[in-house]
Amino acid sequence: MKTYGTEPGTPTTDPLRVGISEFAVSDGNETMKSYGLGSCLAIALWDPGAGIGGLAHVMLPSGDERDDSDRKPGKFADTAIRTMLRQIVEMGGDYTAVEAKIAGGSDMFEFDSFEEGVGKRNVEAAREELDKLGVPLVAEDVGGDRGRTVEFDAGSGALSIKTPDGNGPPTEL
Amino acid sequence: MTPSTADTMELDVNALGTFYRMASEGAGLAAGRLTHMTGVDTRVGVTRLNFVRGSEVAAEFDDGRAKVGVRVDTEDGLEGSSMVVFDRENALRIVSTLVPDSMGATDEFDELNTSAMTEVGQIMNSGFIDGWADVLETVIDLSPPEFVTGESAADFIGHLPTAPDEDDFVVLFRSNIEAVGTEVGFSHYFFPEHESISSLVERRREDDAAAIDYDKLEGFDRMAEQGAEEAADNITTLTGIETEIDIRRLNFVSLEAIAEEVADEMLVGIAFEFDGTPSGYLVLMFDEDSAEHIAEAMMPGAGDGDDGLSEMGQSALQELGNIMTSGMLDGWANVLDTTIDHSTPEFIHDAGSAAIDPIVINLGENQEYAFVFDTRIRAADADIDCDIFAIPDEEDLMRALDDLDVARVGEAPTTAEFPVDGDEDVETVDEPDPDPDEIESDL
Repeated sequence: MKTYGTEPGTPTTDPLRVGISEFAVSDGNETMKSYGLGSCLAIALWDPGAGIGGLAHVMLPSGDERDDSDRKPGKFADTAIRTMLRQIVEMGGDYTAVEAKIAGGSDMFEFDSFEEGVGKRNVEAAREELDKLGVPLVAEDVGGDRGRTVEFDAGSGALSIKTPDGNGPPTEL
Repeated sequence: MTPSTADTMELDVNALGTFYRMASEGAGLAAGRLTHMTGVDTRVGVTRLNFVRGSEVAAEFDDGRAKVGVRVDTEDGLEGSSMVVFDRENALRIVSTLVPDSMGATDEFDELNTSAMTEVGQIMNSGFIDGWADVLETVIDLSPPEFVTGESAADFIGHLPTAPDEDDFVVLFRSNIEAVGTEVGFSHYFFPEHESISSLVERRREDDAAAIDYDKLEGFDRMAEQGAEEAADNITTLTGIETEIDIRRLNFVSLEAIAEEVADEMLVGIAFEFDGTPSGYLVLMFDEDSAEHIAEAMMPGAGDGDDGLSEMGQSALQELGNIMTSGMLDGWANVLDTTIDHSTPEFIHDAGSAAIDPIVINLGENQEYAFVFDTRIRAADADIDCDIFAIPDEEDLMRALDDLDVARVGEAPTTAEFPVDGDEDVETVDEPDPDPDEIESDL
């Protein structure tokens, strides 16, 4: 079984592409991929015992006070984590076994309007929400000023990170 | 959408957001049904709302290519005419997947082929309309389908009372449906009945939301035009390279779509923030080859660094970006009768979405959608393409347009027209690989 954060009925591709503000959860050996994360953050949740995992490509820190968070739970770090966690449990996962990995949250530009950094805010929000829910953050590759393309294997829980130009070996989390 | 000039329909972001969701929902359902019916794998790509003139819609029909269309009229929740239009060859290809034994005669629309094509068109029309009805939470009834063939606007929309006049602004819904392995390029148009769409827009309006008079879309168009021309002229002045404006579009899109559009391409970008009414961000993007060519043209040897661009090349590009950005924002400021300042340039060489996502994130704190002034400047002789995304803060832009004196804009000198969406509507026939095909709906 697979569930998707996009509208139902949308045809899918392999590896499953998780676009900005989307998420996917799978209990099969599904590979999920998010391209060219800059300040966006990839959040992977995985239950090693049940082999159920999910990947979200979040754009903003907090959806709690936003009208569109019901429609797009994958858009916000907090709502994406909670929604994926709920779906993992609904699919037979064990809440207490779930662990998290995150990647992304670079700060590409130093514009005045960005204040302390848009990428940094996403990373902090994800850490905070995971902490609040008691989900251990077991690995991360965040910050800096380069983009990242990530691939998550819901079967093995591996999160693989490459620079978008494909040069250099991938980082495995 | 075809407002009469006497009518002051006001568009607010909420109404546009509803249209946006209709466009993406409709495209999803239509793609799913096309897959179901033909077995062709599809994926829905980026959806945009695109503001264009009626004359540009007519020009798309008047491209001299043989086309077939299937039209249905809609009633109740939303009145109008919905039409799916395929290039004739694409239509025949689709029919051949459905009627494999049509006596080998898949080069003609005989009774069997016409009937199969009509069914495809009907199913796709109803996919779009069902998606819209879902978003609007209403029921929209469809008339029986009508099969249309021809190669001109007169054939397809000449007799339609709801088709836009030349100077009317229309909102096109544009979505990409990527089809794997088979060419299924098509366009979808919807021509609403005016009263029906006005009351829909009115119902969707929020009282406190900033709205623009439909008439002021003229101001958008003029901003886009003057900004693009100034930017293009500045490249020529600085490099001596002759340029042309290849695409100039004003889109209303979800913030996500702006980044998705350039997701996995490696690009060289020069980014700015600007401040005034409106404030916002502007990013110039070059593919890697274009960046090298243009750096080389400005400063021989500058396109020769370790990763293609030397430091000198980078600063040459930043300088060019600086001057183009000033040009574009001056063009806007002229139309809006204001001043707009911009930051120093930031250089980036990375995936396109990595350059854009910080900007959409920052805008995303306060808005869900954005107006994007999307311009492609091309120097064909020098093999250079430059895409410019200018993304104003939504509220600022609405305020700027609200202040705009359209009568004054109307008096400003006009310049020659150029094709809009030049590259996007080209439906290549024989490309074997996954090929983004465009669908569009005109509302």
